[in-house]
Amino acid sequence: MKSELSVNSLGTRGFLADAYALWAVVRREWIIFVRYPSWIIALFIWPVIFPMGYILTARALSGVDGSGLTAFQNTTGLNEYTGYIAVGTMIWMWQNIVLWAVGYSLRNEQLRGTLESNWLSPTWRFAYLLGSSFPQLVSMFMLMLVSGLEYALLFRVQFEGSLWLTLLVIFAAIPSVYGLGFAFASVVITVKEANAFVFLVRGIVMVFCGITYPLAMLPGWMQSVAQWLPQTYIIHAMRTAALSTEGLSGIAFDLKMMTLFGVFWLAIGYWLFATMERRARQTGAIGQY
Amino acid sequence: MSDFAIEADRLVKKFPARPDTGDKPVNGDTSTAPKRGFSLFRKKEPKPMFTAVDGVDLQIKRGEIFGLLGPNGAGKSTTIRMLCTLLEPTSGSARVNGFDVVKQANEVRRSLGTVLAGERSIYWKLSGRENLEYFAALYHIPSAVAKQRVEDLLERMEIKNRANELVEKYSTGMRQRIAIAKALLARPPILLLDEPTLGLDPQAARNLRELIAQLKQEGHTILLTTHYMEEADQLSDRIGIIDTGKVIALDTPAGLKRHIDQSEVIRLEVLGWQDYVGDKLRALSEIHSLVARKQDEGDLWEVNLQSNDSRAALPRIVEHIGGNGTRLVNMNIVKPSLEDVFIQLTGKALRD
Repeated sequence: MKSELSVNSLGTRGFLADAYALWAVVRREWIIFVRYPSWIIALFIWPVIFPMGYILTARALSGVDGSGLTAFQNTTGLNEYTGYIAVGTMIWMWQNIVLWAVGYSLRNEQLRGTLESNWLSPTWRFAYLLGSSFPQLVSMFMLMLVSGLEYALLFRVQFEGSLWLTLLVIFAAIPSVYGLGFAFASVVITVKEANAFVFLVRGIVMVFCGITYPLAMLPGWMQSVAQWLPQTYIIHAMRTAALSTEGLSGIAFDLKMMTLFGVFWLAIGYWLFATMERRARQTGAIGQY
Repeated sequence: MSDFAIEADRLVKKFPARPDTGDKPVNGDTSTAPKRGFSLFRKKEPKPMFTAVDGVDLQIKRGEIFGLLGPNGAGKSTTIRMLCTLLEPTSGSARVNGFDVVKQANEVRRSLGTVLAGERSIYWKLSGRENLEYFAALYHIPSAVAKQRVEDLLERMEIKNRANELVEKYSTGMRQRIAIAKALLARPPILLLDEPTLGLDPQAARNLRELIAQLKQEGHTILLTTHYMEEADQLSDRIGIIDTGKVIALDTPAGLKRHIDQSEVIRLEVLGWQDYVGDKLRALSEIHSLVARKQDEGDLWEVNLQSNDSRAALPRIVEHIGGNGTRLVNMNIVKPSLEDVFIQLTGKALRD
């Protein structure tokens, strides 16, 4: 083995060094992601399979001649119920995948044994959580794109809205969807197991946010609860942007609420992460499986 | 700059005792955990505390290899985790490369290369090269420098020809070499190696010991924990023996052995060892410690006895062993090893 004489740290400091480290986390996560080929199945099949039960139920309830659709049109202002359900379930899937993938990202590192070796470096620690979210965001964006194409080509869904407004809604939804994921990831590191919490959150979103039906169908108190959930505004905005021609004015209020919820959940996510990090130094939780 | 690479001053770490693991307050510790949260209607009972590290003082000189020895649960890993900033001390202080482990944690991390959890500390779904490139970025090494550094370390660790294979295809020894290369990436002045040869075959362990000796020659300070007494004896300039959270002895390997120079070690090989025989031997006035360990083959046990007067002890030992299925197979009187020092100090073998 060759010998090495000097003992000087090669590391540098500053914002650029941390930004490069963040990029390294993104790259690492992406490489590992594409090495598990099962994601292809999730990308092409799941977006069509999952809402299919709801769509067929809706078709049955609307009648063979579609006469039952009038009530749906009166309530929602839309006649495209396949697209309506597809958008709602897509947002539900997004939040669900974020809770599993981002929420469990640190926990999975902990189980693998690599969390400690990351934590031992001088990198900004939030970068590990932030970095592991980017590949997930890209894959989710691909999922939405593929899903949209599949519904347009296979089910003849008419996406009459604006592509740019749809992208704007996705962009505005990111802080609240991922903020909740960050908060969740920080809690999971401490409590180790949180399946029950994932089921609870996705159940609440499924029932209260109207993923397959208009909120007007809910009793008054449930509508009040729905107003406090960001996914309610994301689903409404996404449907309006993708399926209707209402334009920016139709989603302005939703965008405002999504921004407020985004700031709130990002702040909560960061605060919980910082609390977990501080607490882990006292309890040794980072190294505990 | 201080002459010491690592200094610990009355370092203490307490955890809430977990009833399921049998943690008990040690050394008469009756302290309780600080209360968290609040309770509206009843006063919460404070949790009993378990003291994992109990006032450890260490001064490790620059350029030395310091071995930290102790049985499982003695407090070695907790001490190391405090020194590398993964854990905050409950009280006391520690400085690494002159930086406080709590107030200047990031400077401490820049000063350290650490091998904890060995092969599990790297990504098995990445190649060896990808792992090193990734960790180089985490240690803020500029990419151009990192590229060359990674190549040098791959060559030094003799993994270059398999650097692009996934780590999951490597042997344990190769993974451990990647973990060590990771620790060396930023060329840190201080290395913390926690059980670096654990699970390696004899040849790989020998190569690694040679590497550790080389790293010392190059000027690195090395804090080494190991279960292998011969390894500590061979590599360490000084050794600290830790038990129940306290450093109970600290000296050079030769100095530690001098402590029991007056003793002789009687090493027995016994078939069908039974605990009651041990109790009888311990009761002999000539015997002041006894440790029995089962060997890999059959029902063969190695029994180490320390005695001040082996001539007087031998006939009485022979008298007590034999019958009831216990048979003496071999017996030697040997010079005390570091392991015997450890047994005398702690009353147990290192792997207990």
